[in-house]
Amino acid sequence: MLSNPLALIAEITHRCPLHCVYCSNPLELAAAASELQTAHWQRVFREAAEMGILHVHLTGGEPLARKDLEELTATAREAKLYTNLITSGMALSQDRLKKLVDAGLDHIQLSFQDGEAGSADWIAGTKSHAHKIELAAWIREHRIAFTANLVVHRQNLDHLEKTLTFLETLRPDRIEIAHTQYYGWALKNRAALLPTAVQLENALRVVAAAEARLKGRIRIDSVVPDYYAQYPKACMGGWGRRMILIDPTGRALPCHAAGVIPGMAFENVREHSLRSIWTDSPAFHKFRGEDWMQEPCRTCDRRTEDFGGCRCQAFLLTSDAAATDPVCSLAPKHSVVLELLHQVLADVVVPSTISASKLADSWKYRPNPTRA
Amino acid sequence: MAISETSKPTLATGCRWSDNAQTPGREEEPMLLFPEGAIKVEGTGLAILALCDGQRTFPEILEELQRQYFGADPERIRDDASKFLEELHEKRIVDY
Repeated sequence: MLSNPLALIAEITHRCPLHCVYCSNPLELAAAASELQTAHWQRVFREAAEMGILHVHLTGGEPLARKDLEELTATAREAKLYTNLITSGMALSQDRLKKLVDAGLDHIQLSFQDGEAGSADWIAGTKSHAHKIELAAWIREHRIAFTANLVVHRQNLDHLEKTLTFLETLRPDRIEIAHTQYYGWALKNRAALLPTAVQLENALRVVAAAEARLKGRIRIDSVVPDYYAQYPKACMGGWGRRMILIDPTGRALPCHAAGVIPGMAFENVREHSLRSIWTDSPAFHKFRGEDWMQEPCRTCDRRTEDFGGCRCQAFLLTSDAAATDPVCSLAPKHSVVLELLHQVLADVVVPSTISASKLADSWKYRPNPTRA
Repeated sequence: MAISETSKPTLATGCRWSDNAQTPGREEEPMLLFPEGAIKVEGTGLAILALCDGQRTFPEILEELQRQYFGADPERIRDDASKFLEELHEKRIVDY
């Protein structure tokens, strides 16, 4: 029997004042004029709650770019959804923060690019670090949960220990250390972002030490980078199994990157109810369950744990969306990933942190979508 | 962090109960919501958390549990309750 999704990822806009090189948004960004209207989102939130969805993650782009964010937050909370804002915090004033809290926001996840302004602003492609520090102090004045999120990669892993010490001073309830996943802009910038094995080992040690030190005070959630893992991640908890993502234009996707898989048609919430999309959409059925699986997934004991890994990654690295995720050590195409890691190993003879000028050619900042 | 005689456990900031009253078929299924997920709490766990109001001390909670689970071994109640609350404290779901 098909169970209900547990979380709704509401990608309410692709507009963003930051230009992070690892942004998970698709390369083709949705124009401002194509975004869903307030009433659409409000209907979607109510339908989500009626279906038994528990969490809504308001994300983007930068959700604050939408003037109706307070209204959307209030509707989500009134519908009894646990309301989470995933933000860069840029231009969030004390006054607007209070309005969001009053509207019923449960949790704010604030992104950091690094522990010090120079590097952080370079990675974000804009001056943003100083404001985040100010904002973190304002957040602590309210009774909402606060997570500091840090995306890590080759350019910032070497000073992870210092960065964690810095994040600790902001007094978050949680620190999320997310290794870059290679989709969208991150895939474009992979050569500059993929960490070395030495960096990774060191990071694991630093994280373990911080976990022990901060136990009971700050919870640390750390996601191991899948290129280096033995088995793939259970991407989205399985295709069409736990989560539904609505993009800024209203398309319903099983995950952030599903749009890259060719030949897929995604229903739009402008025309369909959330429930009918969940139960009837061919796109959601495509990789649901096990019928689509090939060997070795088809007979693998781990198939109920990792669901064969990520479909988008399988497509991006092997051109076959139904292949075993090539990060899996059992995958027929695992050599693709080993080859990439081998390349990183070869690069270690040069310093692992490449200078900004050297990177200029390959470093692609994520732009802002067009208006129309 | 070990729970003590003076601890007054309560749900941590940003953790709250879901309201499933409107969800058909799930009315009787209280879920504890927190930033990165939710857990279904049943039986003894539910009885313990229902008493964690930030007012009662840990011994007062144990006393109340003893009343609810009349005849249960007090040592066992203390062990189970402290283990349960310490685990949730580590996950930043319960504060004391």
